Amino acid sequence: MRVATDIGGTFTDLVYTDEDGGIQVAKSHTTPPDFENGVIDVIKKSGIGEDAIDTFIHGTTVIINALTERTGVKTGLITTKGFRDVLEIARGNRPDLFNIKYEKPEPFVERYLRKEVSERLNYKGEVLSPVNEDEIKEIVNYFKKQEVEAIAVSYLHSYVNPEHEQETVKKIKELWPEVGVTASHEVTKEWREYERTNTVALNAYVQPIASSYINKLNKELTENNEINQKFIMQSNGGTTTFEDAKEVPINMVESGPVAGIFGAAVLGELIGEENILALDVGGTTAKCSLIEEGEVKVSTDYYIERDDRSAGYPIKVPVIDIVEIGNGGGSIAWLDDAGSLKVGPQSAGAVPGPVAYGQGGEEPTTTDANVLTGRLSGKNFDYDVDLKLVEDKIKEKIAEPFNMTPEEAALGIIRIANSNMLNALKLISTRKGHNPQDFTIVAFGGGGSMHATALARQLGVKKVVIPVASPVFSAWGMLMTDLRHDYIKTYIKRLKNLDIPEIMEQWNGTENQAIEQFKHEGIDPENVVFHRFADMRYLGQEHTVKVPVPGGDWTEEDLDEIIKRFHELHKKNYTFNLPDIDTEIVDLHVTAFGVVEKPKMKKITRETTLEEAQIEERKVYFEDGKGWIDTKIFDRELLPIGEKVEGPAIVEEAAAITVVYEGQVLEVDEYGNLIIETEEL
Amino acid sequence: MVKQTQTDPFTLEIVKDSLLASGDEMFIALAKTSMSPIIYEVLDYACGLTDAKGQLLTQGNGVTGFIGMLSYMVKETLNKYDNGKDLKPGDVLIINDPYEGGGSHLSDVGLVMPIFYEGEIIAFSANKAHWTEVGGKDPGSFTNDAVDIFQEGLQFSCLKLYDGDVLNEPLVEMIRANVRFPDLSIGDMWAQVAALKTGEKRVREICAQYGKEVIIDSINYLLDHGEILSRQELQKLPKGTFEAKGSVDTDGLGNGPFPIQVKVTISDDEFICDFRGSSPQVPGSVNCSFTGLASAIRTLFLALTNPGQDVNDGVFRPLKIVVDEKSIMSAERPAPVSNYFETMLNCLDTVWKALAPHVPERLAAAHFLSVCSVTLSGDHQDTDEPFLIVEPSVGGWGGAQGQDGLSGQFCILDGETYNVPVEVAETRYGVLIDEYSMRNEENGKGAGEFIGGKGVIRSYRAMSDNQSATITYGRNLTTPWGIDGGYEGSRNEFSVIKANGEVDGPFGVYPRYPLQKNDVLQLKTGTGGGYGDPLKRPAEQVASDVKNEYYTVEEARTIFGVEIDTTTFEYKELEARK
Repeated sequence: MRVATDIGGTFTDLVYTDEDGGIQVAKSHTTPPDFENGVIDVIKKSGIGEDAIDTFIHGTTVIINALTERTGVKTGLITTKGFRDVLEIARGNRPDLFNIKYEKPEPFVERYLRKEVSERLNYKGEVLSPVNEDEIKEIVNYFKKQEVEAIAVSYLHSYVNPEHEQETVKKIKELWPEVGVTASHEVTKEWREYERTNTVALNAYVQPIASSYINKLNKELTENNEINQKFIMQSNGGTTTFEDAKEVPINMVESGPVAGIFGAAVLGELIGEENILALDVGGTTAKCSLIEEGEVKVSTDYYIERDDRSAGYPIKVPVIDIVEIGNGGGSIAWLDDAGSLKVGPQSAGAVPGPVAYGQGGEEPTTTDANVLTGRLSGKNFDYDVDLKLVEDKIKEKIAEPFNMTPEEAALGIIRIANSNMLNALKLISTRKGHNPQDFTIVAFGGGGSMHATALARQLGVKKVVIPVASPVFSAWGMLMTDLRHDYIKTYIKRLKNLDIPEIMEQWNGTENQAIEQFKHEGIDPENVVFHRFADMRYLGQEHTVKVPVPGGDWTEEDLDEIIKRFHELHKKNYTFNLPDIDTEIVDLHVTAFGVVEKPKMKKITRETTLEEAQIEERKVYFEDGKGWIDTKIFDRELLPIGEKVEGPAIVEEAAAITVVYEGQVLEVDEYGNLIIETEEL
Repeated sequence: MVKQTQTDPFTLEIVKDSLLASGDEMFIALAKTSMSPIIYEVLDYACGLTDAKGQLLTQGNGVTGFIGMLSYMVKETLNKYDNGKDLKPGDVLIINDPYEGGGSHLSDVGLVMPIFYEGEIIAFSANKAHWTEVGGKDPGSFTNDAVDIFQEGLQFSCLKLYDGDVLNEPLVEMIRANVRFPDLSIGDMWAQVAALKTGEKRVREICAQYGKEVIIDSINYLLDHGEILSRQELQKLPKGTFEAKGSVDTDGLGNGPFPIQVKVTISDDEFICDFRGSSPQVPGSVNCSFTGLASAIRTLFLALTNPGQDVNDGVFRPLKIVVDEKSIMSAERPAPVSNYFETMLNCLDTVWKALAPHVPERLAAAHFLSVCSVTLSGDHQDTDEPFLIVEPSVGGWGGAQGQDGLSGQFCILDGETYNVPVEVAETRYGVLIDEYSMRNEENGKGAGEFIGGKGVIRSYRAMSDNQSATITYGRNLTTPWGIDGGYEGSRNEFSVIKANGEVDGPFGVYPRYPLQKNDVLQLKTGTGGGYGDPLKRPAEQVASDVKNEYYTVEEARTIFGVEIDTTTFEYKELEARK
């Protein structure tokens, strides 16, 4: 049995497949600060009991929580002499351009815990001066006195030559075996000292927390169940072992959220959709990501706490590219000082929640607008919905200032919310040179299905899929993961005079390293699959384009082909290319999958009719001046497979609904997914 | 409330957001494809849309200094091409004339494209970016000892780069022949053209989706919306007349300092900055055109009113600026303008200084003020290829009510500007960086209840002979002012430590300082001014400052009135605090 658990803000989800391939689900409350208890609770609740678990996969928010709540350990930093302020100077940028009282992100390591060692490499990795071990000794004594719990080491140019960092770590471990130490090259092999130093400092900062969490979880798990393999979800959409996760816990920073995106790619493969816009709409945010030819996009351009107002903190580890906006079901609708309607990013949260919950919420939200326009019915909630109260609040706060009816105002809220999500979807598609018409939207999370069909109409997307396991889709995604490691290394070479044997040495070296790592994790070399990418640019540019490059041994023809691909991708991304300008590789990126056996999705049968599936007919308020329209409402669980439902219609399920617009047709596929297609006009 | 139109308010909001999103998209596209660090790291460029009359609708900015300059470029385009009648679809204009529409210096090259829909101009797409090279007497083009505009590079006086989709090839050839790094300059130009076309495409898509009427309604809605927000904030500012004086250190030719004075009058519906009585235009290159001044004042106006809002021309309707003709801040042809930004900054600082005591919730004590620009050229020690560093420097910002000053940030006219990483610089350029750290000061520089942020030291060691450094460090003769008992900060300066140990300097402005292998160019930027009496800074905080080596034990005792034990960091408040 393969079991996945995903810790969310409110609930810890569990998904497993039974022997027939059917999907089973359980939910239990999340239990901060001892998150492992929630995991054990949900296993007990699921009915697995003390059965043997073949593979256990876990997604956790422990790392991101420790970072955002600043609950990591006291960390010391060692840098090259002359550079201890690298974390405080950072990059000097100020996104909040006009704000004289801008607040620069404070370093995770205070200045008195940032120490320097005399040592120096040049940009080629050659030693200019050796490591001064006496200084290390002094620093270790000082850190002991300051009760430091973890140490990060970051030297200039260690991405080319890690020897000085290795020497330093070795010396520290000799002097102080108990302390946690991480060197920057162990976490990232990319250039740019601020970003690399911040990444290693944050890894050190959370490492003791991660170790203790994983150890406790492991203990609890092994006491209760016999488990063959235990994996943790990483930010790159793949998993790693518990042991490996303790070494570089920063790789788990987006452990949970990426699993849903990855799940969309897996589902796409199953149903023959390889170009996907994945959309996850929760209570406070909407997240989206583009999947092209079945491949989720992974980069190291990741930050925490970065927005229009703050520079945030870079973390150079591989993370699935996700665009996240403050727009979910609980997002509050409000008027700005000049009387324009805005939705989000403030959210009513779980408490008091939308007005419809009747828990004291005063501010109208997207959910309330969906209630007032008849999309959501009171029966969709665990609470008693006071429709009158919802109407009053929308009337008072939005409709009256605009001198319009409450339902017009509610539709306005939905349209603004959709416009926000639309801009996020455009950001990942049209603005990167993709035509949305070539993509299918896979929507999940509580609000995904409610908005996806409207977004599809506006983007010109022809097909929307609402997956069968939509409410626990992240955990479902985890069930479908392989082990994955990304190896990214800065290696600056012009294509024109590339030495093929030399670059092959780089590729082969990395791939052998991966095979060794997988062996260690119990994966046979024949189950290891590599994808190679080169981050490339025109000579003189800074930003790069990720180019898929051939595996195996390269020839001169391969180089020509790579250059050709780069020109094409540059044109696709940026509308032009420069065929006469030299091209340059900046980073080598190997993605290594340790392929494991995954559950097969079961086809379902259902002997129902559309009449049986119809719950009622009610009035729903629609866009484009259509107003109130009598609309058929169906129960998702009872919809017959393969039969067409023409819009306007609404499909209800526990905790979510799907809106089918006029001109759209919905059917249930053989796995139970809802497929909504737009009729050709 | 914004006035009602035929179009429903939500559609207006949605179209407005789509226009803003197009501006952002153009902005990102340009950085990602640019060839020059000054664009992709310093983000010394701006992209935006204006309406058919040249009123700014949205602008994506990397630096604040360009705010509003795009409008002037478009207005000059309308002016030159018979109010747009001589423009056709596909035209792209190139413009950098500082006095007519350009507004900054020749290095900032602007492109403008009319956007046609149903046969008429509906908007303009425009951008402006700092090219690494536009020719002229020195590498990097902008220089600190030019005597006229002709030494500063090629001048583009609103010429057609594309005439209805047809590239003006002779013009491109002429640029190629007259600049030192043609691949960089022309590569950046293609990136700018691509960004313009993206803007054009998006606006036409919006037109196609919503129709012309809705777009025009939305444009008016957007401008009115900006004005309403701006006027509401103006109401909250103190009313009256506020005066201050400042100065520009030097024009690079040995003249100066040059006095600046301002009288700021704030009423319920106007914000007037009157610079009359300031220095006339000067022989050296610190002259600034009126457009440049307007951008500086707009920047401070936003800082005072609503720093977070979307920027468009509606926002600036209450703003008026008055100057003498041919002054240092309203220079006319052929005055040299390479380092116009130093005068812009000093004008901005003077208004800031006049208002700082009265608007503590928005304004801090003074910062290091200068772009602190560094141009370093030579040949790389390994490849023998020529290299050129053109970069601003980070320094300290002032303390403010409730907040310590920031260390190591770019000046107010920069913004989403990134320093060049040491590892990148050492790979690309013929230098080794010995040190990049916060400056240790003495005598309580920047001390206060809220302390000034630290300036930094960045030391370039030349790795080959015959390198040349042109440094323009303003605020070298004055220091960043404190507020309300806060101490002043420190000045910007640099020295050269020769391979033989001899030290030359410190200097503020220096053209073409020759460096030989192993000479070290040590750049030091100023620490910001303090806010409030240092004796009011919590003693525990002072102990932590000493532990973190922001201040010495001695300074803690004499300036902050706190005695600190250097081993335990226990502290005792002294008599002075009681």
